[in-house]
Amino acid sequence: MNGLPAGVRPRLDLMHALLLPGALFALFVAAPLGALLWRAAAGGDLLASVQKPLVRDALRLSLATSLLTLVVVVALGTPLAYVLARARFPGKRLLDTLIDLPIVLPPVVAGVALLMAFGRRGVFGGLLRGLGIELAFTTTAVIIAQVFVSAPFYIRAAKVGFQSVDVTLEQMAYTLGVSRVRTFFRVTLPLARPAVLGGVVLCWARALSEFGATMMFAGNFSGVTQTMPLAVMSAMESDLFAALALAVILLAASFVVLLLFRIAGGRGE
Amino acid sequence: MSEPAGLTVDIAARLGGFQLRARFQVGRELIVLFGHSGSGKSLTLRAIAGLLRPDAGCISLGGQPLFDAARGIDLPPQRRGAGLVVQQHALFPHLSVRDNAGFALSGLPAAERRARVSRLLEVLGIAGLAERRPDQLSGGQAQRVALARALAPRPRLLLLDEPFSALDSAIRVGLRRELARMQRELDLTTVFVTHDLREAYHLADRVAVFDRGQVLQTGTRDEVFDRPNSARVAELTEVRNIWRGQVVADRGGTAVDLGALTLRATTALPVGAVVDVCIRPERVLLLRPDRPGTETPRDTVVLARIVDEIAHGAVYTLFFRIERSNAAGHDVEVDVPAHPYEVMGVRHRRDWALAFPREAVHVMAGE
Repeated sequence: MNGLPAGVRPRLDLMHALLLPGALFALFVAAPLGALLWRAAAGGDLLASVQKPLVRDALRLSLATSLLTLVVVVALGTPLAYVLARARFPGKRLLDTLIDLPIVLPPVVAGVALLMAFGRRGVFGGLLRGLGIELAFTTTAVIIAQVFVSAPFYIRAAKVGFQSVDVTLEQMAYTLGVSRVRTFFRVTLPLARPAVLGGVVLCWARALSEFGATMMFAGNFSGVTQTMPLAVMSAMESDLFAALALAVILLAASFVVLLLFRIAGGRGE
Repeated sequence: MSEPAGLTVDIAARLGGFQLRARFQVGRELIVLFGHSGSGKSLTLRAIAGLLRPDAGCISLGGQPLFDAARGIDLPPQRRGAGLVVQQHALFPHLSVRDNAGFALSGLPAAERRARVSRLLEVLGIAGLAERRPDQLSGGQAQRVALARALAPRPRLLLLDEPFSALDSAIRVGLRRELARMQRELDLTTVFVTHDLREAYHLADRVAVFDRGQVLQTGTRDEVFDRPNSARVAELTEVRNIWRGQVVADRGGTAVDLGALTLRATTALPVGAVVDVCIRPERVLLLRPDRPGTETPRDTVVLARIVDEIAHGAVYTLFFRIERSNAAGHDVEVDVPAHPYEVMGVRHRRDWALAFPREAVHVMAGE
């Protein structure tokens, strides 16, 4: 057909040409995941592996700590996100940047920093010991490490969500006699819900996959601080199949997280 | 100064480079805050609602202070009992019409809330839309819901910020009539912000004219529109015929010398005073110039020629140049309804006599 405007066919050709590197990259991502699944399936009974103490303990600890992390982050991060979205105050940009910093900070550095602050010899270590509190290398330390690295993902998303809600709607609620707190729960939060839920999902995923900071600040003690990513590393030395089982569970969790994120964002395809 | 049943506003606020100084008073009636956009009328409304804190002054409703800078009183919007309706309706997008309208009533038992909301929706003619979401409503419907939402908690004060400006004119007129009816029935103090003169005419019991953050004049509708206190108010209220002149003696009375024309007018200002004088275009009368006896001792009659005209449908605006004038353009604008325009054959005759009834000519002290 010569009726097509000039330029249309060459562009289609370009699309075809771009498919090749695209396909290569897709293969690059899919191949290791496929290999992991194949080896895990070939190795034997996955369910039996989950029964192993190492796997079971890590699974339980990861679930407990990441969910507790989520509770802490949502409880403390939501008011902060709202203040950042609505209020104007000196030093706001600095605070904004500070909160985002853990996103780009290497987790190992975060772990060292936590150790320097709350470790036995840390800046606040003496004070904590005086109060009879020992943090480093405990389950609490796992949660602290997870909160530190995962909170920015939630706070950032929630802030953007709250910003997207028209202030006029809140003001309308005030003139209707509804308190600020109730307005938040009846107007702001429902309207920001997709963004906030997206933040929850990302935050949980980040907490679940946390490795470096936990390793540094909480150590790798089975049943106490050995979460799934740490257990994968330990198992690689002794029981490859247990490591594979854990890896498959984490992979499945990641996939579910992504699905939830899509649903929460309402833009799933 | 304080009228127990009404609203008293006397505030000053500085916002960036903008200086607001609003002062007016209104009983259980409707006051229109009239002015161009950016004149401070919406800011004043927000201050009354408690969404903007003035720097000085006071606002009181029914004798009770809502805001008093000197006494440190500043009631939050929740406790002012003021219902607010804005131009972009600002309905809660995640709630149904019913839940929007009942938003303020969450403290009531469910049955009572339901009954009250249903009654309101019925009164406003939107009972059939109760389960719809705001994005399924037309502009006029949404504004009715916004009105229902504001009225549901039985406010002491209704604040409307250009509520109908975004709507088509037919819907606008219908909603205006409904608002006027509800206002009378509910016996509320209502503050209505608009830049639309016809809307102001239709709804106002009282008018406050805003210009650049100042209230230039307040009074009853007829006071403000028929007897503006300055050339600026006359201009803002679209009087369109405004001239500068000097008071002169005239057969034992007074007149204003405009150069090309001397207008007989009643004024208490002394002879020699520089004044602005105005007459609304619809108050100027058109007469056949060949008819004898049109000259009366009371009113001014002059010969004039049509230099241009605009048809608006129901009304024609005629632009006249006075016979003895040497103005470049026109001197007088006259609005003539379509029927007399046809009957008198204005289309085919350009030379006319214009009569300026003495009581329609309004004299203002010049600055």
